[in-house]
Amino acid sequence: MNKRRHIVTLVLLLIIVASSLTANLVAGNKPALGLDLQGGASVTLQPEGQYDAAGLDVAVEIIRQRVDSIGVAEPEIILQGGTIVVNLPGVKDQQQALDIIGRTGELLLRPVLETGMLDPNPSTTIAGSTTDNSVTDTVPVAGGPGSSRFINTATTVPDTTVPSTDVSSSVPVTASATPSVVATPAVTPKIEIGDDPNDPTQTVVLLDKNGIAYVVGPAGASGKVFKNDARADVQTGEWTVVVGLRSGADGDVLWNKLAAACFNKTEQCPTGQLAMVLDGTVISAPSVREPEFTGGTVQISGAFTAEEARDLAKILEFGAVPVRFGVSQAQTVSATLGSDSLRAAIISGIIGILLVLFLLIAYYRLMALFIFAGMTISIALLWSVISFLSRTNGLALSLSGIAGIIVSIGIAVDSYIVFFERIKDEIRVGKTLKNSAVRSFESAWRTIVAADTVSFLCAAVLWFLTVGSVRGFAFFLGISALTDLVITYFFTRSAVLLFARSKRVQGRKILGIKTINPEVLQ
Amino acid sequence: MKTLIAGLGRLYRGETTFDFIGRRMIGFAISIIIIVLGAGSLLIQSLELGIDFRGGVAWEVPANGLTEQDARKVLDDNNVESLNAKIQFLTGTELQVMRVQVGDQTQEVRLSVQKSFAELAKVEVEEVSVASVSSSWGRSITEKALRALLIFFVVVSLYISWRLEWKMAAAAIIAMAHDVIISVGVYSLFGFEVTPATVVAFLTILGFSLYDTVVVFDRVQENSKKFATTRQSFANIANVSTNEVLARSLNTTLASALPVVSLLVVGSFILGAKSLEDFAVALLVGMLAGTYSSIFVAVPLLDLFKQNEPKYQPFKGQIAVGVAMSKLMGHGNVSRVLVTNSSKLNASSVTDEELIAQTTQRATTVLTHPPRPRKKRR
Repeated sequence: MNKRRHIVTLVLLLIIVASSLTANLVAGNKPALGLDLQGGASVTLQPEGQYDAAGLDVAVEIIRQRVDSIGVAEPEIILQGGTIVVNLPGVKDQQQALDIIGRTGELLLRPVLETGMLDPNPSTTIAGSTTDNSVTDTVPVAGGPGSSRFINTATTVPDTTVPSTDVSSSVPVTASATPSVVATPAVTPKIEIGDDPNDPTQTVVLLDKNGIAYVVGPAGASGKVFKNDARADVQTGEWTVVVGLRSGADGDVLWNKLAAACFNKTEQCPTGQLAMVLDGTVISAPSVREPEFTGGTVQISGAFTAEEARDLAKILEFGAVPVRFGVSQAQTVSATLGSDSLRAAIISGIIGILLVLFLLIAYYRLMALFIFAGMTISIALLWSVISFLSRTNGLALSLSGIAGIIVSIGIAVDSYIVFFERIKDEIRVGKTLKNSAVRSFESAWRTIVAADTVSFLCAAVLWFLTVGSVRGFAFFLGISALTDLVITYFFTRSAVLLFARSKRVQGRKILGIKTINPEVLQ
Repeated sequence: MKTLIAGLGRLYRGETTFDFIGRRMIGFAISIIIIVLGAGSLLIQSLELGIDFRGGVAWEVPANGLTEQDARKVLDDNNVESLNAKIQFLTGTELQVMRVQVGDQTQEVRLSVQKSFAELAKVEVEEVSVASVSSSWGRSITEKALRALLIFFVVVSLYISWRLEWKMAAAAIIAMAHDVIISVGVYSLFGFEVTPATVVAFLTILGFSLYDTVVVFDRVQENSKKFATTRQSFANIANVSTNEVLARSLNTTLASALPVVSLLVVGSFILGAKSLEDFAVALLVGMLAGTYSSIFVAVPLLDLFKQNEPKYQPFKGQIAVGVAMSKLMGHGNVSRVLVTNSSKLNASSVTDEELIAQTTQRATTVLTHPPRPRKKRR
């Protein structure tokens, strides 16, 4: 009965490990490499001044969108203990990385002087033109298109330009700053157009996500006029974004001044539209429908989808709480250096394992086979787990992770050593192999659990309380300790106990000590 | 030579009878000497901190025949203070890298120096690695690591107190602190650079040292239950336990240290991956210290803590060595056993023969019973 249970355990374990390994191989999951092994750029940002946790979350989100927009493969943007770590594998140019990430991300409110399509010739590709009504709105808007709605007290209505996830627009905008705007029929006094699209004091040409160009004047206000409470909501059947106004000179007073200028279509704001600009991209340019906002809230409505509305809300919120960051660490690793490190780590790791195996064969002879088998299974298991987590959680194997794994070789081998030394003790005092194996496992298991628990505690504390490379190390150490427990209980125990009861080995020399043949004693 | 082989044979069979407790002063003395040396070195030259802790900029350039003068010239051309620049050549057979470290610089300077280095070495700009760290960053990771360390101490003490007993927790923590102090001391003594990788390695040392100590203490606890009925000094229990796990300790240390040695020798020296060296050196130092401390510091300390417990007090100072210890361990074949330390026996008024007789009598009740014959099958 007992024997069958051991066999079933072994077979089940093998099936589980083999199937998870094949599943990962078939799905093409493999451990992602960290920056130090692959080359790339890494920036650590530390918030400066006052900020709150929600603001940081939003900042992470915004940075992620910026990074996604330039198409970095497997970027890693993590909030770690109050700092934001941005890892961009494959990005070779530190300047580029800092450009993407380092911008303050302040939302500016700039009056729109003119709108129109950019001349498509100067290399600007117009992205996202599939979005429904963007084309119809390229005509200069007088009072906003008919589709937008006027809602009771305090409302601005967008010209249905689709609010977008912000696009890192440094490339298209610089390309478009100088080229001509296809003149729109509006009365155009000579407008001096500045060079730097991010300069809030100049009059510049900006694009939105759909390639519509806006000539915008100096920023009248920043996102700080809004409260930190923007939310997307369904009102009268449409998605709208509602945001509160701060009171005081920097809040509603400033906003109302700007709103009045746009409502009256003064020279400062001839189109009546107010552009919300983030990182040199027009997010939305709603027409102002109220000269004065007395209700303390601003409502933006239009043909939003749910996602667009939420994005706009997020941006408004972020604009309201710009977390300022200082770059506390910036690093580029050349790809050559990275792959050299990886190769060296792998070669020396393999040589190390071979040395250990030689040592174990010399010491434990036949029984070393169990160690090989167990190590093979645990490597397969580790590989599966790491590959899976790489795919799903963006876990990356870095040099410190490799250090963790190398240390775990020692821990894994130790479990066998504890067990086998125990068996030797028991045989030495005159027990049969079968009895000693059973008894040894009981006591060795206690030891192994205690020791692995300590390792795991070490890993857990490090994981929760530290940043950067220490965390990578802690993760792999912890996962190895767990794997060791699983393998010891489900593989080593069953396999060795089965071996110990087999008739053939009784009375043979095992582990260098002659065992007693139970038959002799009868 | 013959004795060495014989000794290894005994080790292999688990028949060593070293008197670790009786000679604990030797172990303590060695530890204290190393700690004092390390502390002295720390006072005089402190630690060689990497830029991650000081703040600053480091470039790594493939050293295609570059010299230190070239590097200084590049720095001077870019108006960077080159006097305090630290320029190292990291050589392996595969690639040679020049690492230049200076204090904090602006983004523009970092880039222009990077470009100049790339031109000088005739490589693409991307081939030059740049790392810049603000000095506040180093402080904050150090603080985080220290906080993690304190919490770890508390959590582990609680765990060991619960799983074993609080005296063992105290001894284990002291042994762990001992390992860290020794490792830091060695780093200061040899002027190795402290990088975040080193911090990782130091933290590993903690885990490793504890792991080793827990394995030994687990056996001590088991043996103190086993010997509960025989009246015995704690020193004897500790000695027997240590000797029993000696083979395991040495084996595990070898098995754990081999991959690290390989990382150091093959990875770092031969293949020239210097980033591996930081880990490997600290790990190796820590592993050796960890094994040493679990046997020569943790167990003797535990004996100090426990020898005066009412249960063990009457037998304090009685240490069975040689044949007597072998008897205690339950080995039948006495003739093979080497008497290691007979002078210590005089510490108590008991003579050799009496002690042997005593322990033999005690031990017979413990371990030397013959195996129970198998029941006949029906």
